Amino acid sequence: MRMVNFRTPYNAGRLALALAVVLLLGFFLLPNQLQGVFQEVGSPIGWVVSWPLRAVAGIQGGVADFWSNFVALQGVREENTELRKELEQLKGQNSQLREAAAATERLTALLEFKGQEMFPMVAARVIGRDTGNWYRAIILNKGESDGFRPDMGVVTPAGVVGRIVKTTAATSVVLLVTDPNNAIAGLVQRTRDEGIIEGTTSGLARLKYIPLLSTARAGDRVVTSGLVGGFPRGLSIGTIARIDKAEGALFQSAELTPEVDMSRVEEVLVIQSPNLQTDSERSGSPKVKRKP
Amino acid sequence: MKTLVMAGLIAGLIPVQSVLLPHTAVWGVMPDLGLIVVCLAGLFGGELEGLLVGLAVGWVMGLFSAADLTAGMVTKGTVGYIAGVAGRHIVYVSPGVLVLGLLAASCVSGLLTALVLTLNDQQSLWWALKTVVLPQAVLDGAVGGALYWLAWSRLNMERFVSEHRT
Repeated sequence: MRMVNFRTPYNAGRLALALAVVLLLGFFLLPNQLQGVFQEVGSPIGWVVSWPLRAVAGIQGGVADFWSNFVALQGVREENTELRKELEQLKGQNSQLREAAAATERLTALLEFKGQEMFPMVAARVIGRDTGNWYRAIILNKGESDGFRPDMGVVTPAGVVGRIVKTTAATSVVLLVTDPNNAIAGLVQRTRDEGIIEGTTSGLARLKYIPLLSTARAGDRVVTSGLVGGFPRGLSIGTIARIDKAEGALFQSAELTPEVDMSRVEEVLVIQSPNLQTDSERSGSPKVKRKP
Repeated sequence: MKTLVMAGLIAGLIPVQSVLLPHTAVWGVMPDLGLIVVCLAGLFGGELEGLLVGLAVGWVMGLFSAADLTAGMVTKGTVGYIAGVAGRHIVYVSPGVLVLGLLAASCVSGLLTALVLTLNDQQSLWWALKTVVLPQAVLDGAVGGALYWLAWSRLNMERFVSEHRT
């Protein structure tokens, strides 16, 4: 049983009430302006906080590596050794050749993927998850100082991860493609039918506004259409798992299985689209083109 | 000194909340340590301290979340203020009372957030209540109660708080 704040001065209470009322009024009357101000002022604070964030993420990564490389494998070490001997007897040199072939295939795929890109990409590491429970988002270890801006697309060699929604000097927040509040323009690769992809509450994605006459079916791949946002055309998003046709609806929709396992993303590539507007450009008046 | 301690606490809160707690999520929901800190600050420090800590925690946590910055500041500031007012009227607080208080504060905060954020059509108020608000409130109450019990019964915080007051 503890005594609580019995010595709170009366003036402090009145000051708190006045401050709360002023701030609440400000937040409701000028939400966008205040949002912009706090985001701007918060950028260096984000840089300061990013240091302990990186430190803890580094320690956590080290512990996870230690666990997966040593502790979790201790029980199977002897068994693994025996199996390795058996495997070596059976396959011999062939296993090494297969390893080499697999590595070559992976590197080739990566090089081809890089070759197809239209914009420069910058690699970043995932250092955390959204601090709240309302959005599915990840935090990257790079921000404004690395040229990252809101609306830039984020991918892995496997496919689309999401888009940047917020940046500080040293970090970025990426809203995942599986979040219901995200929307990306996409198309069915086989039929070329376009639609909007948004996340679902179950952690998958959904392609909306597919024409009723479309022949899209389960197993079709869905890629970015490149029409809106920071994604070039043709980046893999997912595979259609199910087509939904509601009675009397003007469009059909498709449930997608994303190509990328969002719970295991560790490194990503950020597409640095040159034609995205900054926050100040978006809120300010349109720029007049000057004659040369 | 107090401000520095609080700033350090908030800076330390972010890595725990965004790096460590996601591993302990139950059905995809994790406790909101920021909310617990704000409630305790309001309860033991008064309305002004609760409000200021709530605004600061909401702001910094908002920088590392896809949610609106102002939404987090409004909800956490409001909760801190309410906790301060409640602290003025409660003479003694036991871990049980604190758990119930945190449960209520988390529900209020969750419902405010669901109303303030412009969520997608799929995310109705009922969906928010059953998948985020109530599970998080239960976790917040449990974690807050455990921290309170640990701090007071194991770390001799009562003496520290008494010295700080006098």
